[in-house]
Amino acid sequence: MASLWSKISAVLPASEADFPLQFSDTVQQSVVEVLKWCRRQLYSGATSPGQAALNAQIVLDVSWEKLNMGTWRHVDKEWRRVYSYGCLFKVAALCHEDPLVERLLQAVRTCDLGLLMGAAIMDDILQVIVRILQSEIRRSGEEEHQRDRAEVKRIKTESPHIPEIKDECAVPRIKCPSLETFKTSFLIPLRPVILEGIIDHWPALNKHPWSVEYLRSVAGCRTVPVEVGSRYTDENWSQTLLTVDEFIDKYILKKDGGNVSGYLAQHQLFEQVPELKEDIRLPDYCCLGERDEDEVTVNAWFGPGGTVSPLHQDPQHNFLAQVVGSKYIRLYSPEDTDRLYPHQSQLLHNTSQVEVESPDFERFPEFAVAPYLECVLWPGDVLFIPVRHWHYVRSLELSFSVSFWWS
Amino acid sequence: MRWFGFGFNAFGQICAQKEKSDEGEANTTEVKIISPTELSTTVDGSGCSFKTRKIQASWSRRVSLRGDGDRCVFLAGFKSFPSAESSGCTDAFISESHLTLAFQDRIETWNLQEEDKTPSWNMEISAQPESSVSLPAGVNLPLAPGGYITSKPPFYYHLSAQLKAKSLALGGGHAVLLTAAGDVYTWGLGSHGQLGHGGLASEEKPRVVEALCGMPMSSVASGGWHSACISDIFLTEGGDLYVWGWNESGQLGLPSRGLWRASQHKSSQQSGEKPEESGTSLDGEQQEEDKHEEVFISIQAFPALLDVSQSCEIQKVSCGSRHTAVVTNTGDLYTWGWGEYGQLGHQTLMSSDEPQRVEFFKDEQMRVIDVVCGTWNTFAAAIKKDDAYS
Repeated sequence: MASLWSKISAVLPASEADFPLQFSDTVQQSVVEVLKWCRRQLYSGATSPGQAALNAQIVLDVSWEKLNMGTWRHVDKEWRRVYSYGCLFKVAALCHEDPLVERLLQAVRTCDLGLLMGAAIMDDILQVIVRILQSEIRRSGEEEHQRDRAEVKRIKTESPHIPEIKDECAVPRIKCPSLETFKTSFLIPLRPVILEGIIDHWPALNKHPWSVEYLRSVAGCRTVPVEVGSRYTDENWSQTLLTVDEFIDKYILKKDGGNVSGYLAQHQLFEQVPELKEDIRLPDYCCLGERDEDEVTVNAWFGPGGTVSPLHQDPQHNFLAQVVGSKYIRLYSPEDTDRLYPHQSQLLHNTSQVEVESPDFERFPEFAVAPYLECVLWPGDVLFIPVRHWHYVRSLELSFSVSFWWS
Repeated sequence: MRWFGFGFNAFGQICAQKEKSDEGEANTTEVKIISPTELSTTVDGSGCSFKTRKIQASWSRRVSLRGDGDRCVFLAGFKSFPSAESSGCTDAFISESHLTLAFQDRIETWNLQEEDKTPSWNMEISAQPESSVSLPAGVNLPLAPGGYITSKPPFYYHLSAQLKAKSLALGGGHAVLLTAAGDVYTWGLGSHGQLGHGGLASEEKPRVVEALCGMPMSSVASGGWHSACISDIFLTEGGDLYVWGWNESGQLGLPSRGLWRASQHKSSQQSGEKPEESGTSLDGEQQEEDKHEEVFISIQAFPALLDVSQSCEIQKVSCGSRHTAVVTNTGDLYTWGWGEYGQLGHQTLMSSDEPQRVEFFKDEQMRVIDVVCGTWNTFAAAIKKDDAYS
């Protein structure tokens, strides 16, 4: 059985000379010098892993500072590449000697930080390495699923309170419409609709039914961004990085007894964990858009009951596919924007100030007469939210949705 | 006066590598210098030792300005060539990419990444004090007549003469200006509260820090994402330190959640229990953190008065990327913030969100008189206590 290091060596360039370190002038020579030290140490047998780890950490620390300067949009991609190289060198240092599970988990986390905050380097080598690490972890067999089964059954028996949907406000439903029908009846007139039966073929709903246990087995040790706090308009709202296992323990199973809300929201999980991507399919109707299919942004939304996305609008069309659990959703037309009192600030101008399910009519009188559509989305449903249509979402129980933003 | 340095030394900017291994890489022990180490005295051509009157440091280098005779600069660290063309230099300012030198009649900015024969930028200065810089001695880098100098093209930026700029501290993405009247102006990135106007907005032009109006300041400093200033001691009850900006590593000297969490992690590791195994320990941790909830400060958007040490006046302040250092009127050096490269000088690699005295100088019976922070290191000037009045 090949050692972990030999498997990782096999995906690295054969020699120092084949290992590229090209950067624009944005990256100062002094930083490139440290990267060269790292590269040299990677191929020389003589270096202690402690030394290699130290130099990799210098690269991570200096690029981390650049990544945190200014807004994310303005960060030079070159620094994100440097950060990824730092992660690569750190992982190499961690995996040199037969590492124990603790080290392997640290290495996976390092890869994830590179995937989340860095930019792809060397044909997305961090993605390749994390796959090697994950299979190594599985082989060393950390099976804690037994006790989780009991706990998950506990969640499943909770019966959520399902809001009553009035017929005159209900979002229309249609089963497997043709492309033409969808385009003519809903896309062009920008009318919301729930499409039924169009994701029945997803492995996520039949062959590999998604569940908390399945998620743990496929991505338990992977680090993901989590939103903490009841809603993003709140003062105590923040984001943190947790492994999927930690997120499930703390916010789904609530093992620590806390009552703060946590939501794995708006995260391109399927880019990070390709195995999950194989369980879903791009809705055919996306081809009706003007842009290319690979420009569709796919996000995962995974959380306990009670997560709330305040009333807001997005600049693209959305297919919101429900896979596990149920959600209550309310929709308002962009024509009624004035009755929804959007925030004035630049940062939140696409978000309404109104608390949809307990509105303050004194501050927001017009909201009472704003027409809306509402629905409860069940597994197998796909909600079409036309561009700039205001939507409010509350999960009624443990829920996993996949959103497709397309134009 | 002797200079000491501690912190990041991967390029030998504090003390040169004594042994270079065959591969020419940095030795582990010398990358992080955790205890103040005296900077070796430089000797010039005639064998006289180089008295350093000013030091400036970037991430990978250190520049020493000679205090006597020829007034040269000495450069240490990454790719440093001793600069012979710098005689008569009155001031120096270094960034990661450029070195700016001021002379009696001109200011020059040199690109440190190329071996150019001519400076990237220069300007002539007249001897008249007819400028926005009110210091009699001349310029006060990075302030120059009529404006200031940065390390990126177009290098020179204009400043209104009405500001009467006295000193300028350039931080990671922002600037802190002190005027002759003792007012503080800030501009640049504000995302971490480093401008001190109470919000997170950035400012394109200098804007006065209103919270400090009415309290004249005597000096200003800026780090990666934080700022500091000292109130003028010639007015009532001066010598106070004000800080604002990001506190993720405790660089403001205020309780930092990140540091608290790290210390909890360490203590649970040391006691041998894995947090995930015992459900109660996770419970206790969360409750402890919730108790301290209101106390943690991650961003301080308005200036806050920091009590460094009781009944002490602060005389000097300098900021590194994520740490802060001050000198008191009692000759003590206090540091706090990010310490993972030894830049706090407490013989450890730990960060701290509380000001702590650098005991080395007390133990050596030395009086610290100046401090300058590089990005990840700290330089302090000290004299023997009995030499204090010589």
